[in-house]
Amino acid sequence: MATAALARPGSRSDLPILLAPVSALLVLVFFVPLCFVLFYSVYDGGFTTKAFVSLAKSGLFIRVLGTSFDIALSATLFSILLGYPIALHLSRQPPRRRALLLILVLLPFWTSILVKSFAFYVILGNQGIINQALRLAFGDAGTLKLLFNRVGVIVGMAHFLIPFVVFPVLASLLAQNPELRRAAQIMGAGPVRIFLRITLPLSMPGVVAGGLMSMVISLGVFVTPALLGGKSDIMMANLIDFYTRDTLDWNTAAAIAVILLSLSAVLIALLSWVRRDEGVA
Amino acid sequence: MTTSDEQLGLTPGARIWRRAHSTFAACVYFFLLMPSLIVVPMSFGDKREIMFPPANFSLTLYQEYFFASTWMATTLQSLKVALASAAISLVVGFLAAYALVRYDFPGKRLLNLLLLSPILVPVIIVALGTYLYFSSLGITGTTAALVVAHSVHTVPFVIVTLMAGLRHVDPNLERVAELMGASRMTVLRRVTLPLLKPALFAGAMFAFLISFDEVVLSWFISNTLTQTLPVKMYSSIQWEVSPVIAAVSTILTVLSLVACLISAAMQKPS
Repeated sequence: MATAALARPGSRSDLPILLAPVSALLVLVFFVPLCFVLFYSVYDGGFTTKAFVSLAKSGLFIRVLGTSFDIALSATLFSILLGYPIALHLSRQPPRRRALLLILVLLPFWTSILVKSFAFYVILGNQGIINQALRLAFGDAGTLKLLFNRVGVIVGMAHFLIPFVVFPVLASLLAQNPELRRAAQIMGAGPVRIFLRITLPLSMPGVVAGGLMSMVISLGVFVTPALLGGKSDIMMANLIDFYTRDTLDWNTAAAIAVILLSLSAVLIALLSWVRRDEGVA
Repeated sequence: MTTSDEQLGLTPGARIWRRAHSTFAACVYFFLLMPSLIVVPMSFGDKREIMFPPANFSLTLYQEYFFASTWMATTLQSLKVALASAAISLVVGFLAAYALVRYDFPGKRLLNLLLLSPILVPVIIVALGTYLYFSSLGITGTTAALVVAHSVHTVPFVIVTLMAGLRHVDPNLERVAELMGASRMTVLRRVTLPLLKPALFAGAMFAFLISFDEVVLSWFISNTLTQTLPVKMYSSIQWEVSPVIAAVSTILTVLSLVACLISAAMQKPS
């Protein structure tokens, strides 16, 4: 990169032409909209902080905030629990096989959230696959409520989040020196001890990065709680939608968005701090 | 380089650990694949019920999707929006990626972060902001509004893909062409772009698919006339689940598989 610039001194004059379109697009359709959110959060016919004040006192908002954190944390933990073994499994495969299996991990990432919601509707519903199987085994007592409640939301979100956990964890597992494990084994350590004392601690930066990314994504989730959750699983994004479209209260909608934005910003700052500390991109 | 636990000779404990671990991994792979596996047979069911496996197989759902409903209109709308935003983000993204890979300038790290910020900020916030802004301009509900909103969302993916691609194009080739008297445009057309073809193709595919599947921005910005396919699917799942969604889902799954294979192929060289 540096050599290219050195070889063509003065060619930096191209930069404005190269960067103008992307800057225009970002400013006009990303930064200006964000400013509109900030503006409307403190504006309702005149400047006011009443939306924030009434949100702080609103039982509904406090409950939704709690639900959002509850669901985001549960979904993140569940994704780490399912994603870590996958990353470990991938890290022990020969490169060609790993590339093939990675396609399975990438597929949920590229699959429409609506396709997945529909599929989970078929899998988890009262007439769904799991309940049909349970009824076959236990009779009518075997029906479990898996849809339109917390279970449905968390399962649906974990499916979406697993790729975001697998990739950073896989990177930190592949960066480990295999000689360490070999040395431990020669010294007589069993596989469980090797995992708990070497592999797992060394991969923690990847786990933390993946976990924080999952938290950022899940706090702002909109579709999954709306389609797979029940009334008590409404999250911040759904509340924003409700105030914007149903009650046309843009002031409150924008205030919730500002709160969500600040929470995400804290998590993203933590994430970039973790990553800088590690030096793993 | 590969650990080859085999070389060490596995103890029985290690064998059990491995077996347990592989079994668990297989279960999670199955969980990841399950939604895609389920929608395909579902799509050959009939209009009556949403059951797996379907009681009798037919093509009625595809017939309904292609001929007898508004599904096709929304699909065409999505296609239009996705093609336009893929084209915009490809051009805009290429210029930005070229600047970021080939030049050094102050504030480059910051710019890099700013360019990626549309994927870090929760979409719902951008959707609300765009809705408020476009309402004040009086352009919500237009196809053009959808296209630019989607472009902002897809351009970071294009930039990342093209930056990776450009790092594999030797800048010396461009320099030689220039020394031989080719103009900047000729270098671009005859050297850079042809060498970048795989990355351009992948970037366009990603942008297309992300826009085609995008639901939150479209939910806020579109109206009944400019409704996209995901918005129609969203409201259909929310109110009464139409079995036609199985057919739509199968078509979308095939698209996803293609994108997936492309992104897997893209990861190998780097």
